Amino acid sequence: MKQRQGLIALAFLAPALVCLAVLRIVPAISAVVESFYTESLLRGGRVFAGLGNYTDLLSNKDFRQSVGVTLLFTVLVNPIQVAVSFLLAVLFTQRAAGAKLWRTLVILPIATPPAVSAVIWSVIYRPDGLANGVLERLGLPAQPFLTSPSQVLPSLIVLLSWIGVGYWMLFLIAGIQEVPEEVREAALLDGAGPWRRMVSVVLPLVRRPLAFVLVADTVSNLLVFAPVQILTKGGPNGNSNLLMYDVYSRAYAIGDIHVAQAEVVILVALTLAIVAGQFRLLRGDQ
Amino acid sequence: MKRVSLSVLGGVVGILFFLPLLWVVTNSLRPGSETFANLNPLSWQTFLELRPTLTNYSALLNSAIGRATLNSILVSAATVVIGLAVCATAAFGLAAFQFRGRGLVFGIVVLSFLVPFDAIAIPLSTMFRDWHLTNTFAGLVLPGIGNGMAIFLLRQFFLGIPAELVEAGRLDGLGWFGVFRWIYLPLSKPALIGAGLMLFLFQWQAYVWPLLIGTDAKHILGPVALSNLQGQNFTDYGLVFAGAVVLTVIPLAVIAGFQRYFVQSVSSTGLK
Repeated sequence: MKQRQGLIALAFLAPALVCLAVLRIVPAISAVVESFYTESLLRGGRVFAGLGNYTDLLSNKDFRQSVGVTLLFTVLVNPIQVAVSFLLAVLFTQRAAGAKLWRTLVILPIATPPAVSAVIWSVIYRPDGLANGVLERLGLPAQPFLTSPSQVLPSLIVLLSWIGVGYWMLFLIAGIQEVPEEVREAALLDGAGPWRRMVSVVLPLVRRPLAFVLVADTVSNLLVFAPVQILTKGGPNGNSNLLMYDVYSRAYAIGDIHVAQAEVVILVALTLAIVAGQFRLLRGDQ
Repeated sequence: MKRVSLSVLGGVVGILFFLPLLWVVTNSLRPGSETFANLNPLSWQTFLELRPTLTNYSALLNSAIGRATLNSILVSAATVVIGLAVCATAAFGLAAFQFRGRGLVFGIVVLSFLVPFDAIAIPLSTMFRDWHLTNTFAGLVLPGIGNGMAIFLLRQFFLGIPAELVEAGRLDGLGWFGVFRWIYLPLSKPALIGAGLMLFLFQWQAYVWPLLIGTDAKHILGPVALSNLQGQNFTDYGLVFAGAVVLTVIPLAVIAGFQRYFVQSVSSTGLK
């Protein structure tokens, strides 16, 4: 009986399992395998290269810069986005006139596909675009934004936060609304001020959604591609050359598919390591 | 007093987030030659157009972006229909049966959404090239249909369907497919809509994959076509902005129509 059940279950599961295996798991494995091979110019076809592709990468100046830029970006963008989403979630769960409408305006950019947002911001950041128009109105000097080595990452962070903060805020609002009203009232009666209430009452109670947001946000920021490809092409001088874009240009502009596969493996390993580290940290201080 | 200041603060934040979109909408309603005319100095005309024109939108109909938007609609719709069929049957297989290896199968589902799709897009695209799936609709749709997250979401919902209902259905002579079709599916509308939204947004928002696999004029998708247009030397920004509005309004309408389910699926993935 149990065996028959298994066969029927398998029939229902088969299409999805084939899809997941062929479209998710096989390419991941193939990236690992291909990363140990190289194209042979003499014989044609591929030959085993051992760790050759990896040592090539590690000694490559552009790759090393790309790792540095990606780590710097990760360290900056994630705390900023999580903190801003949390503050906005707190703001928009207070009882105040129009809170629903203002919240909706913050969420709207979710609908815009990231590539479309990047196109919009490429016009905003033009020397004669909206951003400099606003600065001028405020009496501030015009800025180069995307063409400045020091401003390019902050400019991307602003654009990515415009896209993402509303989305992450939704999870935190859902979490805050789970905090029982009595708990908040008790804190209020105990004379806790607004800051105290937020840090010692709300924050511990939304730890789970907060942890989820931190991990999911970190993963999505490690894979940022469209804004780099559309706005900066990694420039100026590689200062916005995030790993995902470096993989893409190595595979297609440089055409070194095997080294690119090695870089994919490193990117996925880096992602999993950072995520595992975050889980550890969040569990550790419980 | 405190309420008022919270309200004002919320309003300022909301408007700041909204300004870029408002600017895009306004400029989609004026000729491209005027895009940058109202920026120096900034005035209310920057964000409002009193004599709007729809010329950009009618030009869009015959442009590459118009065709690409239709492609996006077609590919997303196919993804939702096929994807829901594949994911819901799989979730049923996981939820309704006891069998050896169920834990393993569930593990594969979870594993498949831990490896982010964009990261494996490049190795997968070299496989698709070998299989001659470049520049085909099948190539664009396929990666969207096996969505581990959607299977996970549906399974959680299916687990809540009482076993007595299934037994009653079996006694009435329903086969297993009948149980799935006539008992599980009708009871699971919210979860199906939530999963459908997930499949739709995955496909509509995609950029890396369509850039790798479908860039000829017949198969190009909206976001890729728009970014191609932006990269040209003499860009008509009126047209670019009209395209951006259309590519935003379509998912916005879908999300707004199913808002309740969207928030539900968001909060249930975050809290589990």
